[in-house]
Amino acid sequence: MSTTTCPACGTAVPPEARFCESCGAALGGAAPAAPTAAEIDELAPISAPTYRTPAAPPPTPVRTCLTCQGPVGEDGYCEVCGAKAPSERDHFREDPAPWVAGVCDRGIRHHRNEDAMALLASATPGERAVLVVLDGVSNSIDSDVGSLAGARAAREALRTPLPRGMGTPEGRSAAVTKVLTDAAVAANEAVIETTDPASSNPASATYAVAVLEGSALAHANIGDSRVYWLPDGAPGRQLSVDDSAAQMQIEAGMSREEAESGPQAHAITRWLGRDAPEIEPRLGALELDAPGWVVVCSDGLWNYASTPEALAAQVTAAGTVVPSELALALVAFANAQGGQDNITVALARFEPAAPATTPTPQEESHG
Amino acid sequence: MAEFTAAVYQNEFLPDGGTDVNAIVTVSCTGAGTAGQTGAGSAGEIIIVDTSGSMGPQTMAAAKQAAQAALAEIVDGTYFAVIAGSDRAMLAYPQVSSGPGMVPMDASSREAASRAIANFHGSGGTAISTWLDLAGTLFASVAEVTQRHAILLTDGENREQPGSLDAAIKRATGYFQCDCRGAGTDWQVDEVRRISQALLGTVDIIPTPDQMQAQFEEIMRASMSRGVADAQLRIWAPQGSQVLFVRQVSPSVEDLTARRTEVNALTGAYPTGAWSDESRDYHVAVRVAAKAIGQEQLAARVQLAVGDQVMAQGLVKATWSGDSGLTARIDQQVAHYTGQTELAAMIQEGLQAKASGDEATATTKLGRAVQLAAETGNDEATSKLRKVVDIDDEKEGTVRLKRAVDKADEMALDTASTKTTRIKK
Repeated sequence: MSTTTCPACGTAVPPEARFCESCGAALGGAAPAAPTAAEIDELAPISAPTYRTPAAPPPTPVRTCLTCQGPVGEDGYCEVCGAKAPSERDHFREDPAPWVAGVCDRGIRHHRNEDAMALLASATPGERAVLVVLDGVSNSIDSDVGSLAGARAAREALRTPLPRGMGTPEGRSAAVTKVLTDAAVAANEAVIETTDPASSNPASATYAVAVLEGSALAHANIGDSRVYWLPDGAPGRQLSVDDSAAQMQIEAGMSREEAESGPQAHAITRWLGRDAPEIEPRLGALELDAPGWVVVCSDGLWNYASTPEALAAQVTAAGTVVPSELALALVAFANAQGGQDNITVALARFEPAAPATTPTPQEESHG
Repeated sequence: MAEFTAAVYQNEFLPDGGTDVNAIVTVSCTGAGTAGQTGAGSAGEIIIVDTSGSMGPQTMAAAKQAAQAALAEIVDGTYFAVIAGSDRAMLAYPQVSSGPGMVPMDASSREAASRAIANFHGSGGTAISTWLDLAGTLFASVAEVTQRHAILLTDGENREQPGSLDAAIKRATGYFQCDCRGAGTDWQVDEVRRISQALLGTVDIIPTPDQMQAQFEEIMRASMSRGVADAQLRIWAPQGSQVLFVRQVSPSVEDLTARRTEVNALTGAYPTGAWSDESRDYHVAVRVAAKAIGQEQLAARVQLAVGDQVMAQGLVKATWSGDSGLTARIDQQVAHYTGQTELAAMIQEGLQAKASGDEATATTKLGRAVQLAAETGNDEATSKLRKVVDIDDEKEGTVRLKRAVDKADEMALDTASTKTTRIKK
């Protein structure tokens, strides 16, 4: 045991201590220097103690005005219409392939964007896509940093194709379960890593993932971010099941409408973060056989279109089959409804390889 | 190297449907250096003295002394010339009839110019347009001179065809700057102010000859301290918006709105002339399309540019809010300078009405001026107004026109009407 003492009160403290256990004074020497934004970029997924440095925004090389498409000046305002350009954390887009896209937006009412998203897609349409959405809990500290780190960590964990197991459906299902759980654990660790160990209110976030490989869709979620399957011109389905007070009330017999508008509607019962209960995502898989959309979104969108029918209506109303345009249109829809929360929409367009033979999709399992 | 900073004072919050954004932008310059000494071309100074027959012996003697004192303030190496003005303009120094019409200042040229000034004698009329045109020709004769400034002293009304003076002012505008002084009370404030405003200079009355030397020295010292030869105020406003007005409001009120030249479709440039280590305030008003509550946008970028280089930028913003506690406030600086601008207008309009015999209008306008001067803490204006009106109630703005007013006091009130005070902290 070292004999370092606190300069404020003289109590002996361990050399690596950042705060004096006795008087609470900050002990500056042991804290690592704050990394620069460039260092954080290199470290991605973030592993530095970013509770002291904001998350490096995802790189978006050309900044164009979201209102008029004019160039954004160095001062952060459009050089044509003067609209304030959101920071690259407050609004960012990813479109890793022409058939996969997402938009993550601050919305109107919140002062920062605590949602996060990380996407992956192969160039060949329909081959492989990973959609990750995390919704940082707004009353926890630095959840904007944690959610982005978590989303990127989950994407890294899902970079390689899902295992086939022993070739049997059961074996494959077990193997996929393990990978999706491991990805959630990786996300959880990344969230915790960005959290100040001394934080009384550690960063926390929801978790929703969809992995599409050919026609096989696997999904996982913790909290109330959702995964939907919306086939063109046929009834859609909400594949994820919320870990929320509202969901519990629905299961107890309350109507969805009543439960989701109640005072506890947004209380989640499970989440990622240092104070999270065990990391056990709800899992599911589906074999897709009709053209349509895989949608992963935060409650900033589904607050305004909760049922699959309502969400599908907005997809139809958007009048586009280009994923990047549709994602923008859905975010614009949520903002037009009031933008009460951060809004994230991630989409993958599915087209069956051969004409569908059966109209009803077959569910394989539901964890 | 001169450095500029810009600071913006405004209430950026607009109510639902609000469109008009007002801001005061303070532009400050430090490290300006000395005119003509910063490696960006030479400075040129021309002293123009009225030598018409109306100049009395006392005034003429004082004018000579003042012009000679001004020579002493011109930094060695500065190009200079002296013009004697009557119904035509005569190049008094250097005495050349072709080639460069200005010479660099040194001990011997100062001495020679001083002798030339000593030979001035009053005769003939007053044709100020010819004085301005000769000054322009002299500046143009020396290519190195890139910073051009003149002092103009007159004692009488211009006697020319209507329009000739305005045409000459137009030719000089944007080419050289000119500070103007009127000796005695026989000159026209309006007329001389037209020259000084267009040529980015000052105007003042020198009521008695004994004050002339100090004024000339001060003007020339100020001019030599302007190490930044020329700068523009640039204002960018968003597509579809309208710049309602651009005014310099400190140290004096100068409306620049009509002096816009286009930089690009969304950006206009307004002349500011040369800069010393000083600070100027500009009032900018822009009308933008109303946006939804909660939206924020840029209403103007206000920049100070030297040549093509933007040296400082201030951002004027608009944020729509449903909170009347935020939107109802008027920025203190905006309110102050709005009052000072109205004060200048009330003094000028009041004096005009008084001159044309409309006592009722004069009483109302000068009363309002008294009220505004008190509200905005412009003590100089208040003390000058007191020499023209008897104040019954400063707060209410009730005044009576004085029966016997010294003409010089009335002219001093007029020339000083555009001078503003800064807000009291």
